[in-house]
Amino acid sequence: MEQINPTRMELIKKNAQIKLAEQGRDLLREKMDALIQEFFNVMESVSQSRSELEKLSDVAQHALLIAEAIDDPVTLKSASFATRRGITLDIKGKNVMGVPVPIIEKKRFVKSLFERGYSILGVSGRIDEAAEKYEAELDLIITLAETETSLRRLGSEIQMTRRRVNALEQVLIPELKRQAKYIEITIDERDREDLYRLKKVKKIIERKKRETINT
Amino acid sequence: MEYAYVNARIKAMKSRLLDRSFLEQLINKPDIDSLIAELEKTTYREELDKAGVLYSGIHRIEVAIRKDLVKTFRTVLNLIRGGETESYLTLILNRWDVQNIKTILRGKKIQENPSEILDCLIPAGELDEAALTELVKQPDVKAVIDLLATWGIIYSRPLTLNFREFSETGDLLVLEYALDTFYYQDALSRLKSGESDDARILKNILVTEIDINNIKTVLRSIRDRIDIEEAKRYFVKGSPDFDMERLTSIMKAGTIDGALKHLEHTPYQFITTIPQEYIVAEKISAFEKELERYLVKKAVSLFIGDPLSIAIPIAYIWAKYTEVTNIRVIARCKIIEVPEKELREALISV
Repeated sequence: MEQINPTRMELIKKNAQIKLAEQGRDLLREKMDALIQEFFNVMESVSQSRSELEKLSDVAQHALLIAEAIDDPVTLKSASFATRRGITLDIKGKNVMGVPVPIIEKKRFVKSLFERGYSILGVSGRIDEAAEKYEAELDLIITLAETETSLRRLGSEIQMTRRRVNALEQVLIPELKRQAKYIEITIDERDREDLYRLKKVKKIIERKKRETINT
Repeated sequence: MEYAYVNARIKAMKSRLLDRSFLEQLINKPDIDSLIAELEKTTYREELDKAGVLYSGIHRIEVAIRKDLVKTFRTVLNLIRGGETESYLTLILNRWDVQNIKTILRGKKIQENPSEILDCLIPAGELDEAALTELVKQPDVKAVIDLLATWGIIYSRPLTLNFREFSETGDLLVLEYALDTFYYQDALSRLKSGESDDARILKNILVTEIDINNIKTVLRSIRDRIDIEEAKRYFVKGSPDFDMERLTSIMKAGTIDGALKHLEHTPYQFITTIPQEYIVAEKISAFEKELERYLVKKAVSLFIGDPLSIAIPIAYIWAKYTEVTNIRVIARCKIIEVPEKELREALISV
């Protein structure tokens, strides 16, 4: 056990620390509640987007396979050369209860007919439809990347806050209380000893006084 | 040129095309391996054996049918060597040259690996495999155009004319449209000078193709809410029935439904009978499928046309192309386990 000075000053300090720790615990609990509420809000939109993405992915995959079957995979690959380009996204951040979460710039990747970079005369509507569905999927994936990252960060913040609350509630506060109790007991014990000693001294003094008078 | 001999040879080749009952057999095969085994009983055997060295499964079939298509077109072209007929038939096969040049330009623009570009080429046109390999070796778009010009390939003309705009904007669409429109304009101008039946037959098919391309462009532009003035830039001129004015008035309808009304009482009125759900969903591929079927049927029906004309080779080229497409559709649908009904819908029936 840590060396504690069983003094009244120390007791006052320990009581102040207990009060501070309890205040901190309450604040962290409130933060955790708010984070959990935010977490569930985000989770709802993530699960919606997830199921939407699954559907969209199936539709896009089907469109691609049909285009490959009818138009020949080499025609598709050739069209993909024309449309291939990098994607630049602007990512900013915001704070949710002190948790930094990303905000990804909302860009529309669904392109119009003449924006894909190939001539529509040699590219069928089936390829266009497959491209369009994958572009829509990309839109959704980027939105989902934002919300899923927020969800992950909120989740780890909730875990961390819960650990802090637990540490305060189950380790720090009981330890401080135990120390304060120890100091109280020690002070009381010392008081009783002092009292006993004083009584003893008083008795001795009185006995000496009586002996002096008798002699 | 001796049409009687050439067309007799081509009709003999036609007899080796897969008939409906054979396609049914292919549809009923349970997997790719049994499909390959069945195809090995046909003229595709040689190419399947060659492709089997490097590829397996669906890729083996696709490579084999692609090579067989190229070989067949070369055989037809060799039969017709010399004279006006050869130049007319070359006009049809040039579409593969245009497609190959576009693929090379696309690949060069993004600095794609040359072997990847080569994999996407189908040397069924005038530019053979050696020429295409040389083009693919060029370092950039400009070098490809320069080499085409050096060889005196006519398709270098629209590319050279529009290269400046491409280098300013970096938009390959400029070159691709120039190439596409040049292909049709050049073909029509070459046919204009000839007054023969052959020229008339080929022109009829080309004009139908231009009409179909323009109708598809109109429908796609309406669906994507493209401005009329912008869409007009991408129409192909040359059709007497669907000139710029008529296409613009169809565009002005503003909706797919409205555009279809303009097509009533035209040869393309069959697309107005497409189920309402496709019209509401603006599913262009459904219209496209019908338009493509119409073109294929029209081209293949030339088999019953004048037996001593270019009608027979044209019909054969389209029939062979359709057969290859159908085999690919069946094979692809086998590996992704598409329901039989959907598979049959995807097939181009002639």
